[in-house]
Amino acid sequence: MKKRSALCIFLLLFTFAFANAKTIKVVTTTTDLRSITELIGGNKVSVNAIATGYQNPHFVDPKPSYIINLSNADMFVTVGLDLEIGWSPQLLSSSRNSKIQKGSEGYVDASIGVGLLQVPTSANRGEGDIHIYGNPHYWLDPLNGKVIARNIANGLERVDPSNKSFYENNLQAFFNNIDVKLKQWEAEMAPFRGTKVIAYHNEWVYFETRFGLKIVDFMEPKPGIPPTPSQLVKVIGEVKANHIKVIITSPYFTTSSADVVAKQTGVKVLTIATSTGAFPSIKNYFDLFDYDIAQLTAVLK
Amino acid sequence: MKIFKINFKPGMRYIFTVLLFLQIIFISITAVAQVPADSTVTDSVLLKQVQEQLQASTSEQPTPAQPRSSLSFNPDIGVIGDFQSSYISRGKKNFDMYLNETEVSLQAVVDPYIRADFFLTFGRDPLTGKYGVAVEEGYLTTLALPAKLQLKVGKFREAVGRINPTHPHALPFIDLPNAYVNLFGEEGLNDEGISLSWLTPVKSFYQELVFQTTSGFSESPAFARSEGNHLVYLAHLKNSFTLSDNATLELGLTGISGPNDSARTTNVAAGDLTYKWKPVQLNTYHSITWQSEFYYSDNHNIPGNAINSFGLYSYLEYQVAKTVFLTGRYDYGQKPYNKSVKEQAYSLTAGWDATEFSKIEVEAKTTDDTINKRFYQAWLRWIFIIGAHGAHQY
Repeated sequence: MKKRSALCIFLLLFTFAFANAKTIKVVTTTTDLRSITELIGGNKVSVNAIATGYQNPHFVDPKPSYIINLSNADMFVTVGLDLEIGWSPQLLSSSRNSKIQKGSEGYVDASIGVGLLQVPTSANRGEGDIHIYGNPHYWLDPLNGKVIARNIANGLERVDPSNKSFYENNLQAFFNNIDVKLKQWEAEMAPFRGTKVIAYHNEWVYFETRFGLKIVDFMEPKPGIPPTPSQLVKVIGEVKANHIKVIITSPYFTTSSADVVAKQTGVKVLTIATSTGAFPSIKNYFDLFDYDIAQLTAVLK
Repeated sequence: MKIFKINFKPGMRYIFTVLLFLQIIFISITAVAQVPADSTVTDSVLLKQVQEQLQASTSEQPTPAQPRSSLSFNPDIGVIGDFQSSYISRGKKNFDMYLNETEVSLQAVVDPYIRADFFLTFGRDPLTGKYGVAVEEGYLTTLALPAKLQLKVGKFREAVGRINPTHPHALPFIDLPNAYVNLFGEEGLNDEGISLSWLTPVKSFYQELVFQTTSGFSESPAFARSEGNHLVYLAHLKNSFTLSDNATLELGLTGISGPNDSARTTNVAAGDLTYKWKPVQLNTYHSITWQSEFYYSDNHNIPGNAINSFGLYSYLEYQVAKTVFLTGRYDYGQKPYNKSVKEQAYSLTAGWDATEFSKIEVEAKTTDDTINKRFYQAWLRWIFIIGAHGAHQY
C-alpha cells in the first residue's frame, strides 16, 4: 500500500513537473490581454494580469508582489502607447528578467499595427493627459482584438516555436469568432447608429467609431482633470439640447458628478465595462462586448 | 589632358547599353535578395532558413507600420522645479522664499544589458548664496544579470528604509523628520559606490536583500569619508506582504557601518514599517499610508566610549479626495553626539495634487527640544514638473 501511494505521489509530481516545465508563463498588464493570451495559448500557457478589470489601467500601484510574477515570466504583454507609463517600466526593470525587457523576444507590445485614433499633432500637457502616440484604449474595438491576438501569437511563437501550429490554429479560430460576433454586435447596435451620448473619460473612441455612437462631450473638461462645475453646466446644456439619453462611465470613476447631471436632466448614468472582469459575468474578451452592448441597447431603446 | 574614349559603332553601342542595363538589374536583384553566390552546404542550409522565414513572415500577415512620433535615442528628460517659502518663529530672519531645487533627470536604457539614470540638481548654497550644480544621483542598473541579481553602480541614494531612497519632492511633507536629519543630514545618505540586490526565491511574499559599499563622499552627521581604507557598508532586507487586494505591509531592516569624523566607527540599525491601503477599484480617490521608521546609532567617537542614540518618526497620510492629501507626522530624536539632547516635533501637511505634474503643499510644525524653547515653523512648497517623469517607487 505504502509503495503504491509513493508511486502515485511520484507520478503526480512527475506529471506536475512535466506540465509545469511545458507551460509558458505570461504576465499581461490588463485582463483583456490575459483573456486573448489564454484564447491563443490554450493549455500551453499560464497567464497572470497585473491590473484588475475594474481598475483604471492608467493608475496601477507598482506593488512589489507583481515583481515576483514578472521575474519568472517567459513573456510580457503590454497595451503600450504609454497607457501603463506610470507603472510598468518600473516593474519591468525591477524584475531582473532579461527575457521580458523591451526589445527581447518575450516582450509583446499589443498595439503594433493598430490603426490609431486621436494621434495628437503637438504634445502639450495643457490639454490634460494626452497620449503622444494616440488614444491607447484601442482594445475596445473588436477588430483591434484581432491585431492584439496576432501580436500575442507572434510573441508566443517566438518564445515557444515548437507549438507554432497550435497557436496559429487558435488564432484562426479567434479571428473567426470575432468575425461572427462582430456581425451580431453591429446588428444589435445598428438601430442606434449616430446616437449622441456623453462619456466620463476619453476612452471610448474606438468603441464609438466601430459601433457608430457619437460622443458629444466628456464629464472631464480635459482628459484626467476631474469634472468642474462649469463643465457640468456645459454638459447639462448639451444633454438638454441634444436629448441625450445616457452618460457612459467606467467602474473606476465615481458617478457623483454624472449624478448631478442626471438629476438636472433625467439622463441615465450607465457604468459599463472597459475591460474583461469589470463585472463578474464578463469572463473573457467576447463577454466584454456582449455585456456593454446589452447594457447600451437596453438604455437607448 | 587626354581623355580615353571608345568609339562604338551605332549597333555596338545599343548592345552595350542593353548589357549594362541588364547587369545593373542583376546586381540590384542579387543585392536585395542577399542570396550568396556560391552554394556550399552551409549556404544551402542558410538559404532554406531564409526561405522558411520568408514563408513564415508572409503567413504572419505583416501589420502596417505606424508613424510614431518623437522616436529618438535621446534620453527621457524631465525638469522638476521646487519653489518654497518658509517661516520660523525664532531668530532674526523669520520669512524667506527661494527656489529650493531644480532637478534635471536624464534616463534611458543604455543597451540590452544596462540602463542609466542621472539626476542633476541646481540649488543655492546656503552659506555662499550662490547657485551650484551637483550630481544628485548618477548610476547604471543592470537588466540582465542571472540569479535574480541586480547591480547598481555610481552615485545613488542608499537603501535605508523608505525616506532615504525617495527624492524629497515625492514625499508627502516638506521638511525631513528630525531623527533622519540628525543622522544623515538634509541631503540624506547619498553616496558613491556599488549596490547589489538579490530577489530571494521566496514566492509567498516579496523579499529583496541589498548590499551596498560606498566610499563615504556623502558627508553626513553619522558618517564621514575615511582618510584610510575604511568604507561604508550597508545591508537592507525588504519584505513586502500583500494583505489583500487593497492593502500591503512592508517591513524593512537596515544595518550600516562606516567611518565617522573621529576616524572611528559608527554603526546604525534601522527598521521601517509601512502599511498602505488603497481600494483597487477607486484607487485614485482615497488612500491611507501609515509609515514609521526608527534609527539606532552606536557612535564610537572616543576610545572606549560609545554614544547610543535613538530616533523615530511616524506619519499617517490620508487621501481625502482625488487631489487632496493630509499628512500628520510625529518626530522624536536624540542627538547622535549627545543623547541627552532630545527633540520632539509634530507637523501637519495639507497637499493639493492638481495633476501628476504639479502639487502645492503647506506644512506647519512645532518643535520642542531640551535646550531651546518651543519654536514653530511653516512652509509652502510648489512642485512643478515638465517633460518625462518616471514612476515613483511604491
